Amino acid sequence: MSNFVIVDSKLHTNLKVNTSRSAELGDNVMYTMTYPMEFRDIQSCYPIFFTKDPDSGQFYPAALLGFEEGDNLFLDKDSWQATYIPMMIRRQPFLIGFQPDPSQGKDATKPVVSIDMDNPRVVAQGNDESGETLFDEAGNPSEFLQQTIGRLESIHRGLEHNKGFIAALLEHELLESFTLEITLNDGSHNKLMGFYTIAEEKLQTLSGDTLAKFNTQGYLQSIYMAMASFSRIRAMIDKKNALLG
Amino acid sequence: MNQTIQKIVIVGGGTAGWLSAGIIAAEHRIEPQNGSDGFQLILVESPDIPTIGVGEGTWPSMRSTLQKMGISETEFFRECSASFKQGTLFNGWRTGGNDSYSHPFTAPHGYTEVNLAPHWQSARQQIDFADAVSPQSVLFANRQAPKQISTPEYAFNVNYGYHLDAGKFAELLRKHCVEKLGVTHIKANVTAVNSADNGDIASIGTDSHGDIAGDLFIDCSGQKAMLLGDHFGVPVVSKNSVLFNNTALAAQISYSDSNDPIESCTLSTAQSAGWIWDIGLPTRRGIGHVYSSDHNSEEHASEELLRYIATTVSEQAAASASMRKVQFSPGHRAKFWHKNCVAIGMSAGFIEPLEASALVLVELSAAMIAEQLPANRGVMDLVAKRFNDKFLYRWERIIEFLKLHYILSQRTDSPYWRDNREGSSIPDNLRDQIALWQHQSPWHRDTNSADEMFPSASFQYILYGMDFETAPSATRRSSDQAALSRAKTLFQENANKRAQLQTSLPTNRDLINKIHSFGFQKI
Repeated sequence: MSNFVIVDSKLHTNLKVNTSRSAELGDNVMYTMTYPMEFRDIQSCYPIFFTKDPDSGQFYPAALLGFEEGDNLFLDKDSWQATYIPMMIRRQPFLIGFQPDPSQGKDATKPVVSIDMDNPRVVAQGNDESGETLFDEAGNPSEFLQQTIGRLESIHRGLEHNKGFIAALLEHELLESFTLEITLNDGSHNKLMGFYTIAEEKLQTLSGDTLAKFNTQGYLQSIYMAMASFSRIRAMIDKKNALLG
Repeated sequence: MNQTIQKIVIVGGGTAGWLSAGIIAAEHRIEPQNGSDGFQLILVESPDIPTIGVGEGTWPSMRSTLQKMGISETEFFRECSASFKQGTLFNGWRTGGNDSYSHPFTAPHGYTEVNLAPHWQSARQQIDFADAVSPQSVLFANRQAPKQISTPEYAFNVNYGYHLDAGKFAELLRKHCVEKLGVTHIKANVTAVNSADNGDIASIGTDSHGDIAGDLFIDCSGQKAMLLGDHFGVPVVSKNSVLFNNTALAAQISYSDSNDPIESCTLSTAQSAGWIWDIGLPTRRGIGHVYSSDHNSEEHASEELLRYIATTVSEQAAASASMRKVQFSPGHRAKFWHKNCVAIGMSAGFIEPLEASALVLVELSAAMIAEQLPANRGVMDLVAKRFNDKFLYRWERIIEFLKLHYILSQRTDSPYWRDNREGSSIPDNLRDQIALWQHQSPWHRDTNSADEMFPSASFQYILYGMDFETAPSATRRSSDQAALSRAKTLFQENANKRAQLQTSLPTNRDLINKIHSFGFQKI
């Protein structure tokens, strides 16, 4: 269970966050949410698919990291073997929320950063283990916290952008369900279900007007990046086979 | 005689009228810009006659009916106060005590390959038939939904139909028919029926829109059957000697708390001379008592209904309940299609809603008209004969299937239950079937199933839910050993599936709340 509290310079002076990569710290995930602004980096390492949030049924783009629950092929003991680590992984253990900020106007809001105190990355106060501090001795946000806020804000914008992107894909019936069946060298079969991908045949029938609109909105580039990212599956299968020895 | 059939006039705008309009208009393209040249569908609805709110339960067939019409399931749930129905739970039908059994919509597991009924017999003391062969009875006992929010619209984990608010449903269909399917809606009272030389209906006269001519008239005017009954005089064949119930007291009851669970099946609780339906919508429960006025007084029937409400909802709900009385004569028209007029809905017939057969008959009737729409007047009588044969057969099967619920009862506490088992009240065909079922269980190769209303699986659920005994086969068959081992596997698979669904499916209310917040995806 999570236990989110608002980050506070008085309460969290001595708190540290462990930023190394390992299964114990929660990095052993099969896929993670992503968003179009990140697609360029994601597609250079991972296949991009679409899946549904089980709580709402709403679609979101996801970077595939493994072929089964709890299996992240990019995690090698204590390091992440890829040139880019998805933002939703790097944001841990923080979340961003927004509170009304009447001092800046009627509808203005200000970002509020929360931290999950039960996340294994949070190093107990007074513990000497290494990690990043959130505040300097004067109580000002550390460089780490400032970077974190920057990441959280871009994630927030990304998730907002996702809504429009997904709505456009659905409106034009550009998503289709697919099942990935993989046979590994040891003869075992892996079947990935519940994922969706760009319906390429449908994409080819879009009118010039729609394509122009998608181009202006930035969706066209995202669509093609998602399609191109498909070829990353091959590298993942090789990785998996290599692990099997 | 070679007049092309291209102008259909529907008289009556309840669920029967609008559902028929939607089904036919979804199949035949209406092109309003062609004026009187193309296919036209006109629905004439009286602005003065309120629709009767019956038929709040549907069969699973309604999913494909809505989908074909192009209605989004999310919109349907939001607009019609709809809920999921996975079958019926019958209480007190066997003995009048605490007995109960389920009739789920899902057929027994592996139904296409092995008949599990004989294999269940040896375990009948340990597990109910429905629980042994289907995961669904336990799911609806837990008030769980048949799917998840991430399941696409109209798809499912276990088969389902709906409970709905009939008034709101008619309104959604009206909007969809007029705005999306090109149906012409005329609000007027029918004042005359004008005949052609050949005895057909040439047009109907109205108070505000003059005469409305048509090639085919569909009578959806309810019990009074304005065209088929009043005008053509096609009589009702009474079935009161088979099915005794002819009166209903209906109430709408609010939940005590807006988070109270919503049942995901229809509850049917047997009474001294009838039974009480209990249909859970997200906003309210529709609870009513349908009984035989020959066996029960209105006063006593109303007492039984109030007692049910007091026990299952609250004393307070019972105290403030207001009841509406509906009388009907159980039966159907001697024929449904006469000359250029066909009746759909209560104009065709009406019986107690024990297996929610009202709306499915509308769906089947309209679908057959849509599919077999006669090309011209010359061949209409041939299509009419087909239609009449098919629907007379279907009515007979429905009546027999409902009757089966009563004659399997062991209740002796009132003349009603004893009279129901009187030989003279049992149709011959049903009596023959029961004689046969004492030696072999119903199976899907028993009949030419295309026109069957109820699959053999439904007969199995009722028979074995009601403790009916089918004797074990006297001889051994060559396939016994293989079937036995396959049956064991199927029972185990069903148990596994049930356990998995029990943990993964949300409650009925949770899922309905999510549909209102997020909606279903189309894929």
